[in-house]
Amino acid sequence: MKFMLIVHHNEDAFEKMDKETQSQLLTESIELTHQLHATGQYVHASPLHPAATAVIVRVREDTPLVTDGPFIETREQIAGYFLVNARDLNEAIRIATRVPGARIGSVEVRPLIEITELPKTV
Amino acid sequence: MKYLCLVYVEEKTLHAMPQNERIALSNESMAYCDELQKQGQLLAASPLHPVETATTVRVREGKTSTTDGPFAETKEQLGGYLLIDVRDLNDAVRIASKFPAAQYGSIEVRPLKEHGCA
Repeated sequence: MKFMLIVHHNEDAFEKMDKETQSQLLTESIELTHQLHATGQYVHASPLHPAATAVIVRVREDTPLVTDGPFIETREQIAGYFLVNARDLNEAIRIATRVPGARIGSVEVRPLIEITELPKTV
Repeated sequence: MKYLCLVYVEEKTLHAMPQNERIALSNESMAYCDELQKQGQLLAASPLHPVETATTVRVREGKTSTTDGPFAETKEQLGGYLLIDVRDLNDAVRIASKFPAAQYGSIEVRPLKEHGCA
């Protein structure tokens, strides 16, 4: 089964951390992707630029409406994600606990609806 | 540049649709993904199971806590995503606006950090 681990953290708190701690968290996250890759559990992962760079797209009656800002204003913001292969939810949760973001924020674990007709990509 | 398009739709609205309409929408979405892939603009895409299947995980002082449900309760829920590779934000917005769910939900377009985190 595939799961999306959505990492939320407080951007202000993260910005206030010293550079060393920030880069340590990044290094640890990259190490985790390599560990998951070695066990065949890695599909894809990436950090995202701050929520302030988000735009929202809606189309109503064929007219596109584009607004700035993330979809939801929350205390924590989506900082990045991991796409993983796991046997079941328990294994996905175990992986989520190893994501450094789980210590400073929250990791939402969501199962994918696996559709074989979708283009084969990553 | 790579962008993550987070597709938010109201699950209630989706469930209230007649099944043939839902299937047509799903087929249209998949056809669009095929088209994007042929143009080399699609890296990954998938729908997600309903938000009630979500679990939120936090680790504090080495202790794991899990709670059922999504990170935030909202009127529209995260229903899927597209990961695309395009020239700029304008292209990303154009692609998002052509995705069928943009007509009844909202698509958040977020650039990926491709050169490190800090």
